[in-house]
Amino acid sequence: MTAPKEKQMSFPELADWVISRALKAGAGDCRVSLSRRRAVEINYRDRKPEVIKEATTQGLYLEVFANKRYAAQSTPDFRRSTLEPFITDLVASAGIMEEDPFRTLPDPKYYEGRTGADLQLTDPDYAKMTPEERHAMTKAVEAACLTRGGDKVISVEAGESDESYEEFIKTSNGFEGSSNGTYYNVGASMTAQDEGDRKPAGYNYVGCRYKSDLPPMDEVGAGAAGRTLDLMGGKKIATTKIPIILENRGAGRVLNGLVSPMSAGNIQQKRSFLADKKGTTVGSSLLTVIDDPFIPRGLGSRYYDGDGFPARKRNLITNGMLNEFLVDWYYSRKLGWEPTSGSLSNVIIPPGTRSLEEIIRDLKRCIVITDYIGGNSNSTTGDFSVGIIGKLYENGNFVQNVAEMNIADNHMNFWNRLIEVANDPWIYSQGRFPSLVIDDVVVAGI
Amino acid sequence: MKPIPRRKFIRGTALAGGAMLLLPGMQGCRFAGGSSSGNYFLGEFGIDEALCGRLLAKALSRGGDFADLYFEYTVSNYLGLEDGKVNQSYGDISLGVGIRTVKGDQIGYGYTQELTEESMMSAASTASSLCDMSAVKAATSFTRPVTGSYYPVPEGFDGIPAQSKLPVLQQVNEKCFSLSPEIVKVNAGFQSSIKRILIVTSDGVLAEDIIPGGYLYSSVVAERNGRREQSFWNLGGRRDFSFYDNDVINEVASKSVSNSLKLFDAIQPPAGEMPVVFGPGITGILLHEAIGHGMEADFNRKKKSTYSTMIGKKVAEPFVTIIDDGTNMNLAGSLNVDDEGTPGKKTVLVENGILTSYIHDRISAKYYGVEPTGNGRRQDFMNYPVPRMRNTYMLGGDATPEDVIKAAGNGIYVEDVSNGQVKIGEGDFAFYVSQGRLIQNGKLTAPIKDVNIMGNGPKMLANIILAANDLELSRGGAGQCGKNGQGVPVSFGLPTCLVKSLTVGGTEQKGGRS
Repeated sequence: MTAPKEKQMSFPELADWVISRALKAGAGDCRVSLSRRRAVEINYRDRKPEVIKEATTQGLYLEVFANKRYAAQSTPDFRRSTLEPFITDLVASAGIMEEDPFRTLPDPKYYEGRTGADLQLTDPDYAKMTPEERHAMTKAVEAACLTRGGDKVISVEAGESDESYEEFIKTSNGFEGSSNGTYYNVGASMTAQDEGDRKPAGYNYVGCRYKSDLPPMDEVGAGAAGRTLDLMGGKKIATTKIPIILENRGAGRVLNGLVSPMSAGNIQQKRSFLADKKGTTVGSSLLTVIDDPFIPRGLGSRYYDGDGFPARKRNLITNGMLNEFLVDWYYSRKLGWEPTSGSLSNVIIPPGTRSLEEIIRDLKRCIVITDYIGGNSNSTTGDFSVGIIGKLYENGNFVQNVAEMNIADNHMNFWNRLIEVANDPWIYSQGRFPSLVIDDVVVAGI
Repeated sequence: MKPIPRRKFIRGTALAGGAMLLLPGMQGCRFAGGSSSGNYFLGEFGIDEALCGRLLAKALSRGGDFADLYFEYTVSNYLGLEDGKVNQSYGDISLGVGIRTVKGDQIGYGYTQELTEESMMSAASTASSLCDMSAVKAATSFTRPVTGSYYPVPEGFDGIPAQSKLPVLQQVNEKCFSLSPEIVKVNAGFQSSIKRILIVTSDGVLAEDIIPGGYLYSSVVAERNGRREQSFWNLGGRRDFSFYDNDVINEVASKSVSNSLKLFDAIQPPAGEMPVVFGPGITGILLHEAIGHGMEADFNRKKKSTYSTMIGKKVAEPFVTIIDDGTNMNLAGSLNVDDEGTPGKKTVLVENGILTSYIHDRISAKYYGVEPTGNGRRQDFMNYPVPRMRNTYMLGGDATPEDVIKAAGNGIYVEDVSNGQVKIGEGDFAFYVSQGRLIQNGKLTAPIKDVNIMGNGPKMLANIILAANDLELSRGGAGQCGKNGQGVPVSFGLPTCLVKSLTVGGTEQKGGRS
């Protein structure tokens, strides 16, 4: 009863086959992206495994361009017998779309110039990971969190997940790219008993491409407990205008509202308050934002982007001046601009010279924001508002934890009040931001 | 096992529309999966009861309390309009099975995209690796639970064909531009999916469902004197194409346009604590964040929720009754059967001010010694189910909406919200107001926008002091709730109601610009 098994093709062989079939079916051009991912996840609670999960998945994503029309679809099924009609149907479905002269594959000249450097995206030791090792790592994180949390612990969940992936992309007009990588994530979240029914929950998770770059497991676990205990007794204070410090690991939550309007899509669709701000000042002289795809082992490091453009380091904002937009191929054509890249790799704010502690000591009264809740940012107007959780300091001394408070502002004002950048970039993320000090922010509470 | 019929497998590209499934016209009660002609996974993929029995036996081969299989075949398609052209079509096919072994509150989980016995046995083996005991017997024959039919689809329904979506999007575009010369950009999109699931459990339940889903949206930018404002509106849910008629097209277009124009007069409200009135409908996200998540029983059995010691206690005024409901016709969160095989139900979370029930999956129901409430949900076969909300709403009170606004005195009125979040343990929640008004001396005045509002769940519940008689359930289809990295569609509802005090995040301190 079983269907005859097809000979499995390599990614390059399969891509060639798909492209030839798509062109034969009537596509003028096409791009095929193939990927395979193996992922493992282990969670512990109460010193026993709570979840063990493991699987391999694969995907084929085909984009077809036919007579200035476009359609795309993904499928997990790589068998040629099912792909054949899949391709025919997709080309036919592009045919019913409306004409869009801007929807083409990039001019192949933009594919040239890819780096030959080794970005070290794959941990050579990944295959050596054993189930026992994963359990041992998770247990160590959990134990350290329980120890540090002590009698305040209501619940601790510790987890380890890791994955390896490979991808291959080919277009009918000459782009070919392949890449593979690994990723590890470990951490814990803890819930603690506070006053009354309040049970603050804190967490600490870190991600790396190489296992050897992970901090010690007991440090990760104790960090989760420490961050939870830091939330105890959190209360709102009277509404006030005060310097705030966006802690390094969470700063992206606010910074995203400044960066996403830099995309050409938002600009062309008139949804960007930055559309006419290129070459002008959007922040204080301390605001410098760099997109750097070449950091060895960086979580956002890459050789090429989704259009096939070679990775390039870009100075998006320099000393407050907006230099570059994020321009992909499609919107570059719509806007009549040169393409850059529509997406970000590793986003960096260069660190300053002083530690967070030194900065806090010199500020009379400030709130260090350690987490966020809710909130959003309007890309068209630059207005944003977000709930905050943090710690209040006066003259360098801790006063109390704060919770249930809000900040609101407009990005065009907010970043002009960036008065200092700390020396502590958070490296376990694609956004490598140090802590950022913003003066005179209205923090709403009572 | 039977080979997969080729054409049928790939059906569901953007052209989808070929009839291939004969389901009985479904109204009222039915057996999950309907008659034998509704046995989709057997017909298409050769998944028969004997095979399910073997997989379950493998999943329990090293012990465990129970195991289940979750087969999924989802075809989705999105058509997008930009700059006057329907120029984007994106489709996705998701096919696979997730196999779960449960021991107490521990979960072993394996999944595969390949519905061959070899691959599925391997996934079952991964799930079984959680346990280290002797085998437990699994069912070999199965019965189908009786369920409601809360999103019947026409006979032969196989998703909404792309061709049908094209004119709808063009009409939205034309309507938006016709409503105001100040509209400068219109983006519109039509997302739809058809999800087929089969759940088979080691205790002998076999449930099958066919779930339509999707939404039509319009997102517009208006320009006035060099200033720009944007707004978004969507309608959808578990519906077939017949829902998307002229009335729906007009509502999507006119709401997005009128909301964007209102914003030109919008101001930032003063910051700080003040009375907040919630208009009816989508503002029910308040309940979703302030109480719904905290009532998910996994958080409570782990003692992580602020509500974990409050069952049976008074948490709100006697007129407050809050429900999480899987049985509303065609709403985004409705479920004929949940993702563990429990029939869709209606669960009262707060009854006349008393906290009555958590929302359960099978694991938490067993822990608490209660019946599952039909809230075991998952994003797809790659994820195991956890307790999740469906459609969460509060019943109406006796007041009129005008009374409620008047009673607020000075505060703000919330008309539309875009997103929210909660911290389960603290009970602190927040949501983002995209449309609202100031209330001054009991009257609605200037529009407000882009404000985050914060509160604490139990405190907020106790502070609901007045509710109007105008409960409205949101007919939006784009509402997604995220938990543990999994998104599931949900809906909300609320009557106009007054919360005595919440923290409003403005840019000005109360009493004027500082």
